[in-house]
Amino acid sequence: MKHPKITRAAQGVAALILLIASGMKFVGEPGSVEVFVELGMEPTGRYLIACIELSASLLLLSPYAALGSVVALSVMCGAVIAHVSQLGFALSGDGVMQLGLLASVLTCSIYVLIARRSELPFIGENL
Amino acid sequence: MSATLAVDLEKVSRTANVAIVVFFAAFGAAGTFLSFYFHFLTVAFFLMILLNLYWRHFQTSHTLLANFGFLAQIRYISESVGPEFRQYLFASDTEERPFSRVERAEVYRKAKGIDSSSAFGSLLTYDRSEMKLRHSLYPVDKAQMEPFDVAVGAARGLATTYRIKRPVMISAMSFGALGSNAVRALARGAAAAGVPMNTGEGGYPKHHLVEGCDLIFQMGTAKFGVRTEGGRLDDGKLAALAALDPIKMIEIKLSQGAKPGKGGLLPKEKITAEIAELRGVPMGRDVISPAHHLECVDASSTVAFIGRVQRVSGLPTGIKFCLGRPDELRELVAEMKRQDIVPDFITVDGGEGGTGAAPKSFMDDMGMPLFAALPETHRILQEAGVRDRLVIFASGKLISAGMQLKALSLGADVTYSARGFLLALGCIQALQCNRNTCPVGITTHHQHLQSGLDVEAKSQRVVNYIEALHHDHVELLAAMGRSSARELTEINVSLPAGVSAPSPGQERS
Repeated sequence: MKHPKITRAAQGVAALILLIASGMKFVGEPGSVEVFVELGMEPTGRYLIACIELSASLLLLSPYAALGSVVALSVMCGAVIAHVSQLGFALSGDGVMQLGLLASVLTCSIYVLIARRSELPFIGENL
Repeated sequence: MSATLAVDLEKVSRTANVAIVVFFAAFGAAGTFLSFYFHFLTVAFFLMILLNLYWRHFQTSHTLLANFGFLAQIRYISESVGPEFRQYLFASDTEERPFSRVERAEVYRKAKGIDSSSAFGSLLTYDRSEMKLRHSLYPVDKAQMEPFDVAVGAARGLATTYRIKRPVMISAMSFGALGSNAVRALARGAAAAGVPMNTGEGGYPKHHLVEGCDLIFQMGTAKFGVRTEGGRLDDGKLAALAALDPIKMIEIKLSQGAKPGKGGLLPKEKITAEIAELRGVPMGRDVISPAHHLECVDASSTVAFIGRVQRVSGLPTGIKFCLGRPDELRELVAEMKRQDIVPDFITVDGGEGGTGAAPKSFMDDMGMPLFAALPETHRILQEAGVRDRLVIFASGKLISAGMQLKALSLGADVTYSARGFLLALGCIQALQCNRNTCPVGITTHHQHLQSGLDVEAKSQRVVNYIEALHHDHVELLAAMGRSSARELTEINVSLPAGVSAPSPGQERS
C-alpha cells in the first residue's frame, strides 16, 4: 500500500533519530551512560533500550512501519516517564536538544501510528 | 432447582478494564520506588489504557468493543486465527472445503511418488447420495489397454488437428493469477509429461512459452494479448500468436465456473509494465473485463465470432462456459447448425468455483455444478446431431482419477484440472489466492515467497502426479471392464438422485 509522502517522511525522521540514539547507547557515549547510571540500569538497561530503539528504527523503514511506530512510541513513553520521575528536564544546552528530539520522535511515531493503524497485526482491523 | 456454572462475561470484562488501570498504577509505583525496569510494564499498560479508551468511548464500528473493551478483542483475535487452528488441530480429515485433508493428501502422495494404498475402509461418505464408478464382473487385462487418443479439429479436417494423449490437462491459470515460478514449474512438468496446458486469459503467455509445452491459448472477454484498444478482437495479433509453434488450440472463454455471467476489473495499481505489455493494455488506467465478449450479444453473433476466430487462427478453436440455461445452449447449437460453424471443442466448467477470485455469492450460488451440467450438455449436443463434430472438455474439482473417470463417463472426452496441479505444486489450501500472500509462493508475485518454489523440483511433482493419475486410470478402467476411456458411458457410473444421465446407447464422437 502506498502512503503519502508526509507519512514516509515522519517514518524517516523517527527512524533516523532512533538509529542515532541507539548507536550512542551501544558505543557508551558518556551522556547515555550517565542517564542509565542514574536510572540504576547501567549497562544492561542501556543495551536493552538500544536494541529496542534499533528494532523500532528498522521496523519504521520496513513494510511493518505501523508496528515500528508502536515500539517507538513505547520507548518514548518510557523516556518521558524517566524524565518526569527521576531525571527531570534540563532546560538549557543539551537538555533542550534532547527534549526536542524526544518530542520529534513522539510526534512522528504518533502520526505514523494514526496513519497506518489499520496495518497493525491482530487489532488493525478494529482501529 | 438447578444450578448452572456460568461465567458472567460482562463482569469479567468490567473487572479487566479496572485491572488495567490498577496494574498501570502498581507498575508505575514499582518502577519509581523499586526498579526502573518495572516501567516497561507501566508503558505497556499505559498503551492498553489508551486503546481501551478509544474502543469504549470513541469508535462506533464495533459494539462488542464498545460494550466490553479490551477483552472483546480476544474474540476478534480468535476469529482471525480460527482457519489455521481448525485446519491443523480441530477439523477432521474429511470435513474441509473445497478439498478435505484426505483429498489433498492423496494428491500430495501422488506428486511425491508415495504409495497411496490404505486400509480399514473409505474415510469418505459411501452411500447412495454419492456418485460411484461401477466395476465389471469381467475386468480386462491391463495389457489390452488402448492408448488414449483424442483428436481436436479432426472433424473439420484441419492440418493443425491436435491429438491429446492423456485424459487430463492443466486448466486455465494465467500469469498474474500465478507467479512466474509456478507457471514455469507447471509448464515444465506439462512438457515432460506430454500434456497441454491452458494459458488462462492473462494475455501473451511469455512465461508459459519459456518451457516449450503445448499450449491452449485462452481468450477471455477482455481479450488480453489480442485486443484492440477498445477491447475488441485484433485479428492481426491473434494470427501472430496462433502462428507460434507451442500454441495448439484457442479457447474462447464465454464464462467460467467461479463467476459465470460476471465481468471483472483490473485496477490500474496492479498494472505493472510487464502486465501492461503482456496483456496489451495501457498503464495508469483501470481495464474492464466485460461480462461478455463485445462481439457476442446473441446466438448468431456468438457463432459468427467462433467462426472468425477459427478462420483467423487456423487452429482448433473451442468455447468454454459454465452451463446456465439449457434453452440458451439449445439455441446456440441450433445456430451453429444453421451457420455450419461448430467449435472444435466445448469446455464445460462446473459452477463450483475454481482458482479464480470471485464474489462469494457467485461461487456459492451461480451456475450448474459439473456433474449436472456435463450430461445435459452432452445430451443437447447429441440431440442436435453435432456431438460427433466436437470434443467435450470438463473441469471442476476433478483432482482424482476416480472423479476424472466419472466426468468421462458422463459425456466428457478429456478433463481439465487446475487445483489438482496446484496441490501437486505444494498448495496447502491457505485460501489466499486473491491476496498476493500465498505462503507457498504459487499465487503471489512477492519474490521472497516465490523463492521457496523450486521450478525443477516442483515440475517433477507435476510429472509424478500425471503418471500416478495414469496408473490409477489404467487400474480403474481395467476393473470397469473397459480397455479405453473412450468406451466409458453413463452405464459405468451409479448416479445419485437428481443427476440425469445422457440417453443410453448413444455414441459420442
